[in-house]
Amino acid sequence: MPLNIAVLAKASLDPNMIRTRGDSLVDIEAMPLALSEYDKNAVEAAVQAKEKHGGKVYVLSVLTWPPAARRVKELEQVMREALAMGADEAHVVVDEALIPGDPLATAEAFAALIRKLGQVDLVVAGEASMDMISSQVAARVAALLDLPFIGFARSLEIGDGRVRAVRDLEDRLETVEAPLPAVVSVTGEANKPRIPTLIQVRRAFRKPINRYSLADLGLEPPAKPELGEIRVLTVSRKNIILEGDNLEEIAEKLIDALIKEGVIKA
Amino acid sequence: MVKALAFTMEPGLVAELASHTRRLAGEAVLVAPKEAASKAPAGVYTKAYILEAGDPAAFAAALEKVYNEYKPDIVLTIASKNNTTAAALLAAKLRLPMLTEALEPRIEGSTLTAKRRVLGGRAEASYRAQLPAVLSLARGAAEPLQEAGGVEAQPLEAPQPRVTLLESKEKVREAVNLEEAEIVVGVGRGFRSREDLKLAEELAQLLGGVVGASRPIVADYGWLSEDRWIGISGKKIRPKLYIAIGISGAPQHMAAAMDSKIIVAVNKDKNAPIFQYADYGVVADLYQFLPVLIKKLRERLNR
Ligand SMILES: Cc1cc2nc3c(=O)[nH]c(=O)nc-3n(C[C@H](O)[C@H](O)[C@H](O)COP(=O)(O)OP(=O)(O)OC[C@H]3O[C@@H](n4cnc5c(N)ncnc54)[C@H](O)[C@@H]3O)c2cc1C
Ligand SMILES: Nc1ncnc2c1ncn2[C@@H]1O[C@H](COP(=O)(O)O)[C@@H](O)[C@H]1O
Repeated sequence: MPLNIAVLAKASLDPNMIRTRGDSLVDIEAMPLALSEYDKNAVEAAVQAKEKHGGKVYVLSVLTWPPAARRVKELEQVMREALAMGADEAHVVVDEALIPGDPLATAEAFAALIRKLGQVDLVVAGEASMDMISSQVAARVAALLDLPFIGFARSLEIGDGRVRAVRDLEDRLETVEAPLPAVVSVTGEANKPRIPTLIQVRRAFRKPINRYSLADLGLEPPAKPELGEIRVLTVSRKNIILEGDNLEEIAEKLIDALIKEGVIKA
Repeated sequence: MVKALAFTMEPGLVAELASHTRRLAGEAVLVAPKEAASKAPAGVYTKAYILEAGDPAAFAAALEKVYNEYKPDIVLTIASKNNTTAAALLAAKLRLPMLTEALEPRIEGSTLTAKRRVLGGRAEASYRAQLPAVLSLARGAAEPLQEAGGVEAQPLEAPQPRVTLLESKEKVREAVNLEEAEIVVGVGRGFRSREDLKLAEELAQLLGGVVGASRPIVADYGWLSEDRWIGISGKKIRPKLYIAIGISGAPQHMAAAMDSKIIVAVNKDKNAPIFQYADYGVVADLYQFLPVLIKKLRERLNR
């Protein structure tokens, strides 16, 4: 049975590229967007399922960071990455009323978009976005579409109109099963995301990226919690670098330093 | 007066939940599995509902009924994976805002303010939301409230789950306490095999420390148990000395080691981000450097 699979892939602020204004205030507009780390696992899971069962992979995204005008390009780049991995079409929602993002608003946009796409058998998301780490959006989408939800799947398998997954909880691994259509969020351990070849990257430029506003989805601007300032948490470190060919000398220096710091005892 | 609906699928989190509930609410009810609901302190809750854990969606559906009857101003839980999932499912159905891993929650009138860690745990965001709202509170932020139970506990019915459980396997636990350790030796993907971790184990033993690890070592390769996982999705550490070896220094890892007094990094890549987080950074191949360090330490420490 061919499957229509929707993957939720976020253009996230990259936590490896934190930029600040003043001493600790995060300068959101100066930070680049990147495909959220575990959303690559979501794309991989969807593409693997398509390769096995046939069908189509839609990659969906909601722009959540300002300034929208400039970010649209970055969002498209992120979508190209998913398309190069094997997704067939991208569908993105860009609307000032959804910026800055909130799981409530984002999930309502996704639910409307998925309804608009028609028959979707499986929705795959990441366990948490790398910028907001809220682990809400996938569950919210499932609730809004009234679909079964399996969160934190560290493996998944599709067959006979069902999805079987191993749910990775704090103290146990649960093997669970749900009828399709269903929503699943995957962990970083679910698979190894492929690196697209140059040909696949080039081919991705020919795949469509469709853009929607809230009005296109028939939605009113949702009420969101207000996101105030974001401050980076820093601890100043000594940043003393020991390098060179003489490892014995480096080891001696390190041991001396640690004794002096009082963290090891001679 | 703030009315709260508090719930937990994890019985072990009930004392921490009670502590937050007492601080935030004037009146509250609790939904939890029997062993937890039967201990609901009367000083915090007026009523308890017994609901066995099972599937988060079925749990959330039962919570929704209590919500609609009780009409609370706030829904409270403590962030475990299942609790956060159930909270998010409930929040979506009720169209309520929700904050995951919330810190320092405050309610004034009908306004809720709270903070949470974002950007891989490296930054803190401030939020303001209008009640009613849902809070999945960060673990370990409140002293568990140990108070005898004594409220009426009434069973609650959950619908048949659509997600069926086929098998459940307990994870292996070890008797290590990374959170309290004074010296931690962290291992990452720079190690090429489980065998090779012996080098780090020897170093840790020599220093009287404990071996911890980055997420891939534990979750991907399964070389060490989850008690040794350092990071925002694992354990938070605050040792005197953290020696991170063959770890690149991802924000999600380092955010949980920020309270270390001294951080030493050993990495062969001079440009590895970990060096920005280190007091002492050794640019070297761990396979060459560790044997030398261990030998020198033995000489210096007479061990
Ligand atoms: C939502 C989310 C949550 C996460 N939670 C966590 C978490 O809780 N904990 C966590 O650790 N990660 C977490 N991660 C993953 C994190 O982003 C990184 O992928 C992970 O920490 C990398 O682990 P690593 O440093 O061991 O591996 P790598 O990043 O692969 O780094 C290996 C390092 O070893 C060095 N190296 C290689 N060979 C040698 C050698 N011979 N000698 C010396 N150095 C060598 C390399 O230069 C490199 O810097 C999370 C990610 C996300 C998105
Ligand atoms: N704005 C977004 N665009 C695309 N996908 C998203 C967005 N926000 C969240 N998601 C998906 O939902 C998952 C969980 O996100 P979060 O609830 O923010 O932790 C992510 O891993 C994505 O798969």
